[in-house]
Amino acid sequence: MAARRRNHRPKRCFLSEATPPILVKTETSAFNFLWKSKTMSKESRMRATINQKLTEMGERERLKEILRARLTECGWKDQMKAHCKEVIKEKGLEHITVDDLVVEITPKGRALVPDSVKKDLLHRIRAFLAQHAS
Amino acid sequence: MTGMKIDLDQVLIHIFKISITDFQMKMEDMPLSGLDNTRLEALAHDIYSELVEDACLGLCFEVHRAVKQGYFFLDETDQESMKEFEIVDQPGVDIFGQVYNQWKNKECECPNCKRLIAASRFAPHLEKCLGMGRNSSRIANRRLASSNNMSKSESDQEDNDDLNDNDWSYGAEKKAKKRKSEKSQNSPRRSKSLKHKNGELGSSVGAESYKYNYNTGISYETLGPDEVRSLLTTQCGVISEHTKKMCTRSQRCPQHTDEQRRAVRVFLLGPSAPALPDADAVVETDSFDIPEGQTLMSRLQWEDSPDISPTDSASSKASTNHSDSRKPKKKKKPSLGLNSGGGGSGSLAGGGSSSSQSNISISTKKKRPKLSAPSLSSIYDDLN
Repeated sequence: MAARRRNHRPKRCFLSEATPPILVKTETSAFNFLWKSKTMSKESRMRATINQKLTEMGERERLKEILRARLTECGWKDQMKAHCKEVIKEKGLEHITVDDLVVEITPKGRALVPDSVKKDLLHRIRAFLAQHAS
Repeated sequence: MTGMKIDLDQVLIHIFKISITDFQMKMEDMPLSGLDNTRLEALAHDIYSELVEDACLGLCFEVHRAVKQGYFFLDETDQESMKEFEIVDQPGVDIFGQVYNQWKNKECECPNCKRLIAASRFAPHLEKCLGMGRNSSRIANRRLASSNNMSKSESDQEDNDDLNDNDWSYGAEKKAKKRKSEKSQNSPRRSKSLKHKNGELGSSVGAESYKYNYNTGISYETLGPDEVRSLLTTQCGVISEHTKKMCTRSQRCPQHTDEQRRAVRVFLLGPSAPALPDADAVVETDSFDIPEGQTLMSRLQWEDSPDISPTDSASSKASTNHSDSRKPKKKKKPSLGLNSGGGGSGSLAGGGSSSSQSNISISTKKKRPKLSAPSLSSIYDDLN
């Protein structure tokens, strides 16, 4: 019972020196949680900085353009348009909404991106990060 | 327990019995390890997903707008028209269904000469056959001129001057290729053979007294001593280090000094080739005129080496153009095969630069004459 109670409240601090195994476990998870909360904010801060840099330096726009161009030239766009046609025929021309399309298109779109394009883009992003991450 | 406000850090330190510095260091390490590869990879993937989603979203908006505006399905017309313009994929036919080399083997009968000409050559043939079109008159003129020239020598300056308007190269290749077929000279293929011949012009036409390359240089090894002499009287002649060719620019070409020119002459003609008149002539032109003019005149009556003999029969204008660039030398071994000094003055004014082409026929042992046509013409005016 005591164990259960303790498990429920992992944030509790324990002054006692004696650390039964179950306490150690909760302590560890407390430690982990504490550690994560401290580093999460640091990481999220870092992410925010990176994203900001990406936008400010125009790199995001550039990457977008590159991606768009690649997708068009590899035929992804035409594939997706064909899929859109099917969706529209299915749902009816008059009653199609953006949301319908988004819901149908996005997962397929993500999956259909060719590997080469994906690799190229990741490579560029990594290069940017290597250069600009603190 | 619930009421206690306890610093978690302290508690943990206490519980886990690690030192504060240790703990702090571990906490400080976190940001650095936050930049480790896994995190960076995760970040990169996140950014990538964002970008892809952006692209998808863009596409959705585009399609939706096209649907609502009504132009999304425009490319799908009725089935019949679709069939009509379908891509054809049969052998021997292009994608429109047309036969590709239909006219390749056809021959047409020329209405003029009644010959059977290949279809692709038909138009140029007609041009020449009927005497209409841009090139046909040029070719005809050339043929006439060269057939005249055959009887004379090749130092036909006046044609040169006329043709010089069009093309520097015309005169040169005309003379050089006189014996070759002239058909090729105006056709588009001419340029290919020309370029090819550039380096060869000098050596292939070796017997002719003058060679002109509109290459920048002549290779002195291929020239005989007389030719070398004649070259050196009119051209700079300094041998370039890289290409081993003689400079074909004028005697006063800015790229080379007089010393170089003298050295080349010594090298090529032997030590008996002394100083150039250039050095002095530059300083005082006037004082030279009369004495030089006289020696020039005397030279005009000399006949020198056999290689000028073809030029003997040259028209007076042509041959005296050679004298153009000849400045009288200090030492005398003049060798002008000119028989009409009188005609010289007339053409002197004209051929300042063109003389460089043609005066190779004149062989002089020593220096090159100074190229100053204007002053020369004044000499002759005085003398005459």
